[in-house]
Amino acid sequence: MEYTIGSIAPIFLFPFFAFVINAFIGRKLPRHGDWLSVIAIFISFLFALRIFFDFTGTFATDYYIHKVFNWFDLSAGTQVFKVNMGIYIDNMTAVMLLMVTGVATLIHLFSTWYMHDDPRYGRFFVYVSLFTSAMIGLVLSDNLLSVFIFWELMGFCSYSLIGFYYEKEKAGNASLKAFMTTRAGDVFFLLGIVAIWQVVGSVSFVDIYAAIADGKFANQQVLGIGLATFAGFCVFMGTIGKSAQFPLQVWLPDAMMGPTPCSALIHAATMVAAGVYLSLRTYPLMVAGDLTHFIALIGAITAFGAATIALVQTDLKAVLAFSTISQLGYMVIGVGVGSYNAAFMHLITHAVFKACLFLSAGSVIHSVHEQEMPRLGGLRKKLPFTFLAMMCCTLAIAGVPFFAGFVSKDRILGDALFWGVFAGQNKVWMIVPILGFAGAFLTAFYMFRMMFLIFFGKPRDHHLYDHCHHEHIGFNSNVPLLILTVFTLGFWYCGTLTGQSFGKVFGAKTEWFKILIEAPKVEKFVGRSNQEFSSVDTRIKTELPKAVYHHQSGYSGPSANNEHGLHSAHTYGAIGSIIIAFSGIFLAFLMYIKGSVKPMADTFKGWTKALQNRYYFDDLYVGVLIQKAMIPFNRALSSFDMGIYDRFAIDGWAKVNRVAFKASRWFDDVIVDAVGVDGTGVAVNLFNLVLRIVQSGKIQFYFIVLVITLASYVWSVNL
Amino acid sequence: MISLASYLIISIILFVIGLMVMIARKNIVAILLGIELILNAAALNFVAYSKFVTNNLDGHIFALFIIVVAAAEAAVGLAIVIRFFQLKETIHIDEATQLRN
Repeated sequence: MEYTIGSIAPIFLFPFFAFVINAFIGRKLPRHGDWLSVIAIFISFLFALRIFFDFTGTFATDYYIHKVFNWFDLSAGTQVFKVNMGIYIDNMTAVMLLMVTGVATLIHLFSTWYMHDDPRYGRFFVYVSLFTSAMIGLVLSDNLLSVFIFWELMGFCSYSLIGFYYEKEKAGNASLKAFMTTRAGDVFFLLGIVAIWQVVGSVSFVDIYAAIADGKFANQQVLGIGLATFAGFCVFMGTIGKSAQFPLQVWLPDAMMGPTPCSALIHAATMVAAGVYLSLRTYPLMVAGDLTHFIALIGAITAFGAATIALVQTDLKAVLAFSTISQLGYMVIGVGVGSYNAAFMHLITHAVFKACLFLSAGSVIHSVHEQEMPRLGGLRKKLPFTFLAMMCCTLAIAGVPFFAGFVSKDRILGDALFWGVFAGQNKVWMIVPILGFAGAFLTAFYMFRMMFLIFFGKPRDHHLYDHCHHEHIGFNSNVPLLILTVFTLGFWYCGTLTGQSFGKVFGAKTEWFKILIEAPKVEKFVGRSNQEFSSVDTRIKTELPKAVYHHQSGYSGPSANNEHGLHSAHTYGAIGSIIIAFSGIFLAFLMYIKGSVKPMADTFKGWTKALQNRYYFDDLYVGVLIQKAMIPFNRALSSFDMGIYDRFAIDGWAKVNRVAFKASRWFDDVIVDAVGVDGTGVAVNLFNLVLRIVQSGKIQFYFIVLVITLASYVWSVNL
Repeated sequence: MISLASYLIISIILFVIGLMVMIARKNIVAILLGIELILNAAALNFVAYSKFVTNNLDGHIFALFIIVVAAAEAAVGLAIVIRFFQLKETIHIDEATQLRN
């Protein structure tokens, strides 16, 4: 397949044009132009599918396509300042594109059902189209600058979608909170881009990889720390903000104030995935900056902490929101421990099942108009299709074998186990796998708690239950859920039923995901740097590795060559996570179905309170950081502004100006007007007087003058 | 042999008479006559110098030209005088002050 701008750009442009058209004339179109958005994203999906099959068909890990064009050029003399835009597609991009467009198509389709009686139906599709196109643009970007542009575009879209029901004050506040919190990370991200630019002279991924391989980062220092560490940390702060990692996780739970399909889009296909995608793209930088331990720790804290908060949530969407934070934590653990392939796989599998979970939640909410779980119950008879979809996704997220979540999460945990315990590091880092496994247990527990509370038992609120209509199969209501449900099965991603080396399906020779996705080998980018206006198109086919199933995660952390250790760690990890998943489910069963174990809220009152308040992070940020630090700081700045800057600089400048004005006016009046203008007139008048005497009109007088003049001339010549 | 100085003296006398006429007389026709005298003084100079200094006919030819120009000038001058007389009913030079200021 030939790659030209014409075959790549439409993926981005179709949803973007749908956004433009809908934004301006959507109101006049039939059905407010929703069909335009749906068709546009579906066409993008077809393009993405074409690219996906082309890339996966080659089965080459080193295959990438890089098209660059000059955006603007501010070079002056020897100072080179060129900004290029470009498209970078490798296997990861291809998979990501397919996921984004595929999930977004189904979410668009579901939205036509979920939002159909909303007064701002058209506007929703405007935002959703822009959101999706921004994510596609981000995925296609070849440099950090355009990533940042699309990143901010998504920030804006999430802001408008979270605040979609702006009549509710909470929604407005939540949208502001999401925007501001992610902005805190974005500032660091921009700083990181600048730091990288300073060293590499470009922000293209290819150039960054080449610079890392060349060791350009090696001896650079900034503020006493290595520049790679600084830049990597700053870029990772962007991920922390966007992917809601500790300590900037506070925005994501509030983001559920938006319409549920938009939550699905934010939590699954676009926004939070962008953060992890970025840290995967800049993974060589993280390694060069020696940040992997820090990243793993952040991920572990997030994964475990969010899981504990999810235990006590009663709002259906809040549980899902915290589970998203927790699962993102697993992805970040994966990045940190060097489990590149599994982290990306978890990104994809999570996108699928979390989109499905949110759409199912939307279906439940739309059917019963209630999202407090204690008032629901027994809904599986009324909503059989939603129940099926949600059950499969819950099994997937809980890590039950045969489902996608098990495959990816188990690999991350296996790698984390090896990394923390067997890789010969400081024993302190055992905390990462311990928190990971504990979080997995809690995940299984709280997800099944949610399932049991919604779909099992007796209806707790008969009024709500009776008003819920029996669910019928509908093209845009539950078909998207069922399509997503199909892809919650594990074999799509690993080629075997369980993700282990047994139970191959449909004669899969290899594990496509494992082979195609691997951490960028920076060495291969050397010499490809700064090829402007070029279309670098590498198609180096790698030998298929013989022991494909040997260690399944593409682990690239410390002691990566200890295959035996990895293998045993993965065996323990797999057994451990199966036991943990089932014990979590069993505990939830005992508590919420049989009732033989009492919920422990009364036993751990202090803890429950802390969890319900989300570890007081909101209080910390709003109460301490904003009230105690930011507002006084703000006041100080404002008093500086009013007292010093305004008073002395602005007013003082005014005084200076007034004096200058007076001087200038004096100059104008005296020198220019009196001397220059009037003086000219007076001088002319004087000449006039003289000339009037001379020009008497008496011809004979003229003769005399003439003669005297001539005579004096002759006289002077003779002399 | 009449010397160059004699010619020049005659020429100066003619010129001064012409000049005095031009300056002193108030009659326009008289002024024209004075101009004629001055022109003739100049022509006499040309002829004298031609004879005693350069020894060729350039000065004579110039004198002829001066006579022609003087005739033409006298014609134009008299025409102006006639028009002036028609306008002012006098030929007194002090009445001709239209170009004043």
